[in-house]
Amino acid sequence: MSGTDTDDAGAEGSSTTGEGSSYAAQLSGISKRFGDVVANDDVNLDLERGSVHALLGENGSGKTTLMNVLYGLYEQDEGTVRVDGQVRDFDSPRDAIDAGVGMIHQHFQLVEPMTVLQNVILGTEPTRGGLVDEDAARADVEEICERYGFDVDEELDTPVRELDLGAQQHVEIVKSLYRGAEILVLDEPTAVLTPQEVEGLFEVMAELTASGRSLIFITHKLGEAMEAADEITVLRDGHAVGTVSANATSREELAELMVGREVLFDADDRTTEPGDPVLTIEDLQVIGDRGRPTVRGVDCQIREGEILGVAGVEGNGQSELAESIVGLRSVADGTVTYEGTDITDASRRSLIQDGIAYIPEDRQSEGLVLDYDLERNALLGNQTVEPFVRRGVVDWDAVGDHAESIVEEYDVEPHDTGAMAESLSGGNQQKFVVGREFEHDPRAIVAAHPTRGVDIGSIEFIHDRLREMRDEGLAVLLVSSKLEEIQQLSDRIAVMYEGEFVDVVDPGAVTEQDLGLLMTGNELDDGSEPDSGTTHGNGGDDQ
Amino acid sequence: MSSTDTTPAASDDASGDGTDAGGDDSLGRRALARLVDASIFERLGIAVASTLLALLIGLVVVAAAGYDPVLFIDNMVYGIFGTYSVADLFGTNNRLAQTLRPTVTFIITGVAVAIAFRAGVFNIGVQGQFVVGGFAAAATIVSIAGSLPGGAAGGAMVIVVATIAAIAAGGLYAMLPGILKAYAGANEIITTIMLNFVASGVVFWLLDAYFRPGGTFFVRTERFPEHVSFPQPIFEGTSFSVVGLAIALLTAGVVFWIMERTRFGYDLVTSGHQADAASYSGVDAKRTIVATMTFSGMVAGLAGAVYVIMVLSYFSDPATLPTFGFDAIAVSLLAANNPLGVIPAGLLFGGLESGGNFVNQSSDVPRQLIDGVVGLVVLFVAAPELFRMAGKRMDVGGDEQ
Repeated sequence: MSGTDTDDAGAEGSSTTGEGSSYAAQLSGISKRFGDVVANDDVNLDLERGSVHALLGENGSGKTTLMNVLYGLYEQDEGTVRVDGQVRDFDSPRDAIDAGVGMIHQHFQLVEPMTVLQNVILGTEPTRGGLVDEDAARADVEEICERYGFDVDEELDTPVRELDLGAQQHVEIVKSLYRGAEILVLDEPTAVLTPQEVEGLFEVMAELTASGRSLIFITHKLGEAMEAADEITVLRDGHAVGTVSANATSREELAELMVGREVLFDADDRTTEPGDPVLTIEDLQVIGDRGRPTVRGVDCQIREGEILGVAGVEGNGQSELAESIVGLRSVADGTVTYEGTDITDASRRSLIQDGIAYIPEDRQSEGLVLDYDLERNALLGNQTVEPFVRRGVVDWDAVGDHAESIVEEYDVEPHDTGAMAESLSGGNQQKFVVGREFEHDPRAIVAAHPTRGVDIGSIEFIHDRLREMRDEGLAVLLVSSKLEEIQQLSDRIAVMYEGEFVDVVDPGAVTEQDLGLLMTGNELDDGSEPDSGTTHGNGGDDQ
Repeated sequence: MSSTDTTPAASDDASGDGTDAGGDDSLGRRALARLVDASIFERLGIAVASTLLALLIGLVVVAAAGYDPVLFIDNMVYGIFGTYSVADLFGTNNRLAQTLRPTVTFIITGVAVAIAFRAGVFNIGVQGQFVVGGFAAAATIVSIAGSLPGGAAGGAMVIVVATIAAIAAGGLYAMLPGILKAYAGANEIITTIMLNFVASGVVFWLLDAYFRPGGTFFVRTERFPEHVSFPQPIFEGTSFSVVGLAIALLTAGVVFWIMERTRFGYDLVTSGHQADAASYSGVDAKRTIVATMTFSGMVAGLAGAVYVIMVLSYFSDPATLPTFGFDAIAVSLLAANNPLGVIPAGLLFGGLESGGNFVNQSSDVPRQLIDGVVGLVVLFVAAPELFRMAGKRMDVGGDEQ
């Protein structure tokens, strides 16, 4: 459509009343129901021009639904959408884009084998004589990059799949700007980013607002909302429970608005002493999906009653480390010993039977079969466990009871084992997976990002359970990209960088900044080396 | 399901993108959602209505081509049921047997296809496994029948041994592409299609070289002894036996039970739904592929045994056999790869085959026109089911993060 024209596609809506309105977008009295489920109930949101407005809420609180209404994906049942002061009724995202509303989805909508430039102009290619005018496109895109300080203009001819996630996100933003977006909706943009990349994103957001763009920033992280936003609207159960100014609120206030009750932010005090080693990993080497070594000689021990946290920027071998321990990825070299037995080449099934539980990184592709109900999902991983299966025959009654008890004890909503896994919100899916794994009666747990994309209430719950498990004497390997989580839970923190443990430190003795340094491959030189007496059962640090 | 499939959209789902047709095609989407939600009875109703609509359109074409549509439908119905009244269904004219005979093979081969498809493995080689199984049964019968006692007991013994041989042969023949896929990455669609030709060729050569009775011109085994056949309490003298039908129904039931109630079935179906989740739960993906193909081929081999024992009573050049193994793909898809659903789907195909044959024999309507009408019916019945599957897939696709 208006491909060559990068800037004023949004202007058509502003021609009448737009000049006078100080709001870039106004959502008034929006209600949206799906069958019996009320996703949004009379929600108001006013987006001040040139500002960042955070939309904060737990998973399932209706944030994405509200934005899909603004973006033309859903039609609201009640309420009005104004863009630039004018009432708009978008039938499709195309209409919204034409009116200057862009949305950056949590999962990027990029064509991976295509180059950055091709992705940016896809669907709005400038043409000359029926052919794509690449030179014009390149000039336009370069101009946008220059104006907002993106460095993807140096990668315009690189296939998107070769970029890291932070850069891919920049491509998404450039794409929206190229399409003339005045209002940008960022759906959980920080979920996939490293702390450094998050900082970079916030800088970009500041640039964008400085140039008059207006942003809606969807998140469930309190700190990010406070840091990046001017105003914060909190959604809970489909209601807007409050709009506050970011510099006049506190984490406690926001947390309370979000979950409707006080949330404690205490780190726990560690009372138990670790016991004998349960898992011993020696010189572990693993080849990754692309044929390159991703775990390059890791040594460590995880003992009874201990949580070993593995911190690191994603993609430094943590996933492969976890998968190779639980039997999902073959080991190139080195050994894994579990309670005195060499399990380096043991199958996943035998390790399940031996009591190694695994909370997978991706609950939706691994931890659950999405179009199975919860009852069928309760059997997943339990296929060789009595009484659920006896002599190869499934006892669905026993499995059903098991599903019931998981749903009860782990507070999975809805309390209905006939519900399809895909119908649950992310937090409830995760609680179900966590519950199922913990009910295995394991001796060791490998937990990969156990609270990723999970709401605060569930995070607290899962953390409590992990601590309980630890206190009961289990050995826990916790992989997480959330430093806060690692610091709160771990008895020792191993920092992984490029397939190696850079250091193993005492969480009490390091700051978030120290960890950030370690995570980028630097060594600590300020003397805050951990007390080796309490933290070292191994020679894993400092390769 | 309308409430369950929308809740994730209300949560943290990042479903639609700019290309999503959701906004401007909501009527179509609603219809699709309605179809996905349809109960089993509604689906049967839809199938019946589709059949009638397809016949109606077919008859218009028949009339336009200058043939009598009333006579056509009359012949079709009579060809399928052999009567116009339910009381006469098992009467003396044996038309119903002509319907049930192909139904038996459609059901068993359909189940064979369904097993593989449910596990996400595309066994297009059911025809070849059917041929290999049928040949193994025939070869066993002509080899051992003479050295075993005659009579019903001896016949039953021969049949059991022959059937086991057929199941083993079909299973081993399907195991090959399974191994090639699991351990060498060979696409099973290509290997199974190629192995169909290999099966025909090798079986033809074996027949020609070792099983052709001396002095005969045709490439076929000798006829089986009289006592090596299924008992026929009704429809005597036809090439249909209720024992064959019972085997078909039992096969569908047992396979359904295996899928729903056993670890093997759960592993297999889970692999088909979500391979990563299956691996996570301890399923060995490679072994499951081999086991699935073998299981599928065993059932195809069984279909071959039942076919030669019940219908042929000899075995001849595989190229002259009907292509049950390919039609079975349509049967299975029509049944949404559900082993129990294969039963009505097999009946529909059996009825259309038998009715079409009768129209061909008893009127001057050209075969091509009959096949066209039959094709219309299959298309019309399959279309809602295909849309249903597509609708399900789209919902799942939208929910994936």
